[in-house]
Amino acid sequence: MIHVLDFANYTLFWYYFAGNLVYLIALLIALKTSAAHQRRVGSYRLRWITESPLAPPITLLAPAHNEEKSIRISIRNLLELDYPELEIIVINDGSEDRTLAELQDEFKLRPVRVVYVPEVPSAAVRGLYRSDADPRLLVIDKEAAGSKADAVNAGLNAATSPYVCVVDSDSVLERDALLRIMIPVLADPERVVGVGGIIRILNGSEIRGGHLTRVRLPRKSIEVIQVIEYLRAFLIGREAWAQGNMMMVISGAFGLFRTDLVRAVGGYRAKAIGEDFDLVTRLHRHLLEKKVEYRIKFVPDPVCWTEAPSDLKSLGRQRARWQKGLLDTLLPNSDMLFRRRYGRVGWIALPYLWIFELIAPVIEIGGILTIVLAAALGVLSREFFIQFMIFGYAFATVISMGAVLQEELTYKRYNDWQDVARLVSYCFLEHIPYRQIHMFWRLQGLWQYMRGDMTWKPLERKGLQSTAASLPGAPR
Amino acid sequence: MAFDSDFFHKFAPSALVFKAIIWAIAADFVLLAFILLRRNYRMRYFRKRDRRVFELRQQWDALISGEIPFESWRTNSFDRRIIEDIALDAFEAAPADESARLLRFLRAAGLIEKRIFEARTLKGWRRRSALVALGRTRAPEGIPALADALQDRDPEARNAALRGLGRLGSPEAAEEILQWVAESGLNVPALPLQNALINCCREKPQILLPYLHAPPKLREVLARVLGEVASSSLGADLIGLADDELPELRAAAARAMSNAQPGHALEVLAELSRDTVWFVRLRAVVALGNLYDPKALPHLLQALTDSNRLVRMRAAEGLVDFKSELASIFVQVAKTQDRYGLHAFLAALENAGLRDTLDAEIRKSLSLSSTEVHELLTILRVGKFPGMQVAPALETLQTAAPK
Repeated sequence: MIHVLDFANYTLFWYYFAGNLVYLIALLIALKTSAAHQRRVGSYRLRWITESPLAPPITLLAPAHNEEKSIRISIRNLLELDYPELEIIVINDGSEDRTLAELQDEFKLRPVRVVYVPEVPSAAVRGLYRSDADPRLLVIDKEAAGSKADAVNAGLNAATSPYVCVVDSDSVLERDALLRIMIPVLADPERVVGVGGIIRILNGSEIRGGHLTRVRLPRKSIEVIQVIEYLRAFLIGREAWAQGNMMMVISGAFGLFRTDLVRAVGGYRAKAIGEDFDLVTRLHRHLLEKKVEYRIKFVPDPVCWTEAPSDLKSLGRQRARWQKGLLDTLLPNSDMLFRRRYGRVGWIALPYLWIFELIAPVIEIGGILTIVLAAALGVLSREFFIQFMIFGYAFATVISMGAVLQEELTYKRYNDWQDVARLVSYCFLEHIPYRQIHMFWRLQGLWQYMRGDMTWKPLERKGLQSTAASLPGAPR
Repeated sequence: MAFDSDFFHKFAPSALVFKAIIWAIAADFVLLAFILLRRNYRMRYFRKRDRRVFELRQQWDALISGEIPFESWRTNSFDRRIIEDIALDAFEAAPADESARLLRFLRAAGLIEKRIFEARTLKGWRRRSALVALGRTRAPEGIPALADALQDRDPEARNAALRGLGRLGSPEAAEEILQWVAESGLNVPALPLQNALINCCREKPQILLPYLHAPPKLREVLARVLGEVASSSLGADLIGLADDELPELRAAAARAMSNAQPGHALEVLAELSRDTVWFVRLRAVVALGNLYDPKALPHLLQALTDSNRLVRMRAAEGLVDFKSELASIFVQVAKTQDRYGLHAFLAALENAGLRDTLDAEIRKSLSLSSTEVHELLTILRVGKFPGMQVAPALETLQTAAPK
């Protein structure tokens, strides 16, 4: 028994060590590449892209479900994006509220007959509408199928551009976000098949008329911790994985893909829980099987601001769902593991996700239990325990601080001294007890998946409307 | 399975880990200190810069007229950078006379020479910045330095040089780019190359023609440029390109014809609208629509029954543009008995908001019998020919369409 506990404790130590070491290496790669990216962008003039008659057209796909509160502002925001060749398709995914009516009022919609070829599966379309106020806007009204993936597929069927950009209609894109996300495509159109932008947390910032006017750190601790998590995930994780062409997730809130390839893999999987991760994995699989040379890129400066859960219950639900989504995609693609044809995706990226993401809650919570058990049986080495705690804490803090450093060196969105001080202090505070609670949510997600519980309750969101409502002169 | 306790202790945290803890804690403090110091430094820097920008802005006219001697600021890199930034930003948006004044200033102050020197001697991102700044000045004396940078081993530097030359927008810059791609092949992304050439060849598209015998991939790129910049001055050359074996070149010729509109455009475009390659047909159909010539109508009607949906869509859009002849065109569309063509036509009609106009035109048409009127209105309303079976997906859309 003592040997088993010893073994479990040391395994946990080395597991922690390896996980953080991977992140440390990723941090070093990310620091180097983002500095290079900053310099490269410095020699670009984004305005020159807007002036180009050959800029490849983009179709923005914005699924909306029961978003009557914010739909006007969000779509106006999308229509104001800087890009020369833009088509915007809003998919009203069986909303039970006034989403469609709000769109009709604001954008003067009229029914049209456009070419809609059901190449990828999607629920029945009830009607198609073109805006008289802005002919670039097309609205698809469809039956609800209970998934964002199904709605995006409907948009994909009507898209006419070589690139589609999927956005959440309740998110705020920075005005030049499309120009920036296209930079890798313009530099290498033959090979770049997908590009992910960075998602940042909107909570606490000020919005006027659908535009972000002042970036502030959220007030609640739980939101600030999510800011650090997002910085770590995007500015370190994705930046580094993308360098090795092993990025496995392009966020569903803001990602650009080559339309023909998304159609070729059958669009989004309607039943997928994590449809964004699932799509990118299938793209990797498809292209590797076809032996096509390709790149899936990450660009850290086209920013999409999105609202994060602001209470523990919603956050817990979100994280459990993400974990379910992870398992839901990793399981059917387990045949890619350690197979030569899938290259580094099969040998590095997917094994990493299995070991350090999927089973992390099992190992970490199991580890905590063994430590408690060892202490109860009086066989816990105090020396080991203290070293383990300090080491794990200090190492994890370095990674979080690294993410803040990366933000400071490059993008500097948080200008207020107070915000930076809070951000730094939360790097030290986030590990206890948030990390343990987070692991519990993730374990819950795995358990729900095993039980076949795939229900998804939409997150409570305040919407852009309410963020703006408190400000004087904010439009309706 | 039995475990030996030594086995675990071999892998246990050791003294090395204790050192690692110290390192990690030290790293935390270093990172924290670095963040705070850097933030402080930047805050002071931007405050100073803002103050200086304001001062220089106040003296702007005196600065560019030389009233304030150039020597008083050009050796100070902080001031020089601010002044150059202000001048180049103003230059981008300035009318011709103001541009000339700013260019004189940039020359007299030696800023262009300095950028030329930097573009020739620096490396990496500093060279790229110099190249872009040089392009923004649009000074022809920058061309040789920019052309030299096209030979750089760093692809980013080549891109920057290309963008710089494109910004100059002169045929001389185009010659440099074309000579370089002809010698070294296509070793930059197509879009910046095309953009640069479009900017530089607008005045004189003829300079592209000798290079159209390049290898196929480069020919495609040049063909697309030609499609954008072609003008009536190309005349007979365009007709020659319409027979080219490379589909991209035929497509470019078709595209160019809508800009150039030479005498034989209609005939050539009609021929190209029956090409075997779909995107050549597409370009030809778009060009036919742009000609806005009633003689193009039979060809557009034929393209409405094309096997490619994009060609049908564009043909329909071209037909709908003939707003005054909608009723007679609709009669012709009905005669084709092609349901896909009809669908494309109705889609284009609705997109243009002309459905009611056509309805009214059919009703008041004197050349149609009442049976024909009834039949056409039925087709317009239900979106299908009498007795036609439609696929369920299409049926859904038709029921969703306005009645």
